[in-house]
Amino acid sequence: MMESILSLFTQFPEAMAAGILVSTVCALFGVFVILKHAVFIGITLSEVAACGVAAAFLLGIPPFAGSTVLVLAAVSVMAYPLEKQRIPRDTLMGVIFIAASALSVLLVSKSGTGLAEVRSLLYGDLILASGSDLVVLFLVLIPALLVFLLFFRPVLYTFLDRDAARVLGIKTFVWEALFFIVLGLIISATSRIAGALLIFCYLVVSPATAMILSKRLKRVLIISPLMAAASTLAGMVASFHYDLPTNQTICMVSCILFICSAAVSALIKRVQR
Amino acid sequence: MNPADPIITCKDVCVAYGRQEVLHRVNLEIPRGVFLPFTGPNGAGKTTLLRAILGLLPLRRGKIDTPFDRHPAGYMPQQKVIDPLYPVSTRQIVEMGLYPERGWLRRITAPQRRAVDQTLEQLSLAEHADKNFRELSGGMKQKALLARAFVSKAEVFIVDEPTSELDEASEKEVLHHLLQLSREQGKTVLVAHHDLGLMATLTDSMCHVRHGNASIEPVRQESGADA
Repeated sequence: MMESILSLFTQFPEAMAAGILVSTVCALFGVFVILKHAVFIGITLSEVAACGVAAAFLLGIPPFAGSTVLVLAAVSVMAYPLEKQRIPRDTLMGVIFIAASALSVLLVSKSGTGLAEVRSLLYGDLILASGSDLVVLFLVLIPALLVFLLFFRPVLYTFLDRDAARVLGIKTFVWEALFFIVLGLIISATSRIAGALLIFCYLVVSPATAMILSKRLKRVLIISPLMAAASTLAGMVASFHYDLPTNQTICMVSCILFICSAAVSALIKRVQR
Repeated sequence: MNPADPIITCKDVCVAYGRQEVLHRVNLEIPRGVFLPFTGPNGAGKTTLLRAILGLLPLRRGKIDTPFDRHPAGYMPQQKVIDPLYPVSTRQIVEMGLYPERGWLRRITAPQRRAVDQTLEQLSLAEHADKNFRELSGGMKQKALLARAFVSKAEVFIVDEPTSELDEASEKEVLHHLLQLSREQGKTVLVAHHDLGLMATLTDSMCHVRHGNASIEPVRQESGADA
């Protein structure tokens, strides 16, 4: 296994670096996405980002620019106070999700190459990550990681107990908005190479696995990126050896780890009883 | 500031949910260092008034003067506010009360850790400090939230139905701690509580909230008998 990983690092250094960076950062933010019950926001933003990339293809602008504009617009709409309206927030997200999914297919169908591009948008291909993709990822994900580490405490308190946080002087609206804007930027930057499905997998499956394995927040925040990175490496090796699509293989490895963790955890609980 | 001045003043306070006005022109002057129960029937507006004082609800009209800009309140909500999904320990919940001192990044200092330990001990939570918050009983959860308010070094404590999930012994213990805060440390303690009779035995004045109005009145002997 080690030999295969080293060989992949030699042959596809950008893809391996991109895979580890995307997986760890997304899995870290994913812990908060799950705790905030915002899983649907994750898939919606992934889909909106894919739509932005499709629009960028059509308009001839950089994909990151297209996805960023649309994702930030979607975040603004989601942040709009809907309490006085008749529709719940997740319904609005559902509308955005459907519009983005349909629009990305429609936009690509007008761009010439068609279905192959739609596939690449929705599913991406990590193994094809280039040096310029890696630069974009570094420029967005490293600052995002720093934001996460610097502002971890106010964001956690905002999500944990919003009223108490406000009483303690925490500007909850600011921290919540910052979290979702940064999440939006991460999704925009990663959607071009990772695709909506793999981003969603990193945001949900690895954090969920970590939450099964530990009931300590600090450990969850360490296990989640480790699981995501391990799934990425194992998935890339398996896809290379068995000639399978990379991103889907990574997703399946993540899901297998999730199922194994759930089974082991259930077994341990049973033995402890 | 003159110690004789009220610590909280409500002037013509109106609060509404949508079109429905819940508090109508509430005028209150809450003296410093009192233990003041807010009593009244369900739906009278006790929690709404306390949340307005905390700054958690926008006022339709009026003004509330508090010292919370300089000294955040110690707030204990009902225990159901914490989502059981969060993998946080009792100690982490209590340490949240140190946020005004610690801010974004500062690590916990030795005196702060001692203060947390002492508060956990004081509320009989020491042996549950490292347990996940979701594993605590309802009563212990409430005590953990109370401990979070205690460590915040607040001048004013606002407590929403502190004993709703507690057995009789724990209820007495919690009320004893709240009274101690007021009598021994001179803190102002505002408590929303449904049990008029019980509250009447603990203090000599209460804030009665009825039909969206509120007034501080001395406790009459018969009010204890009413409940």
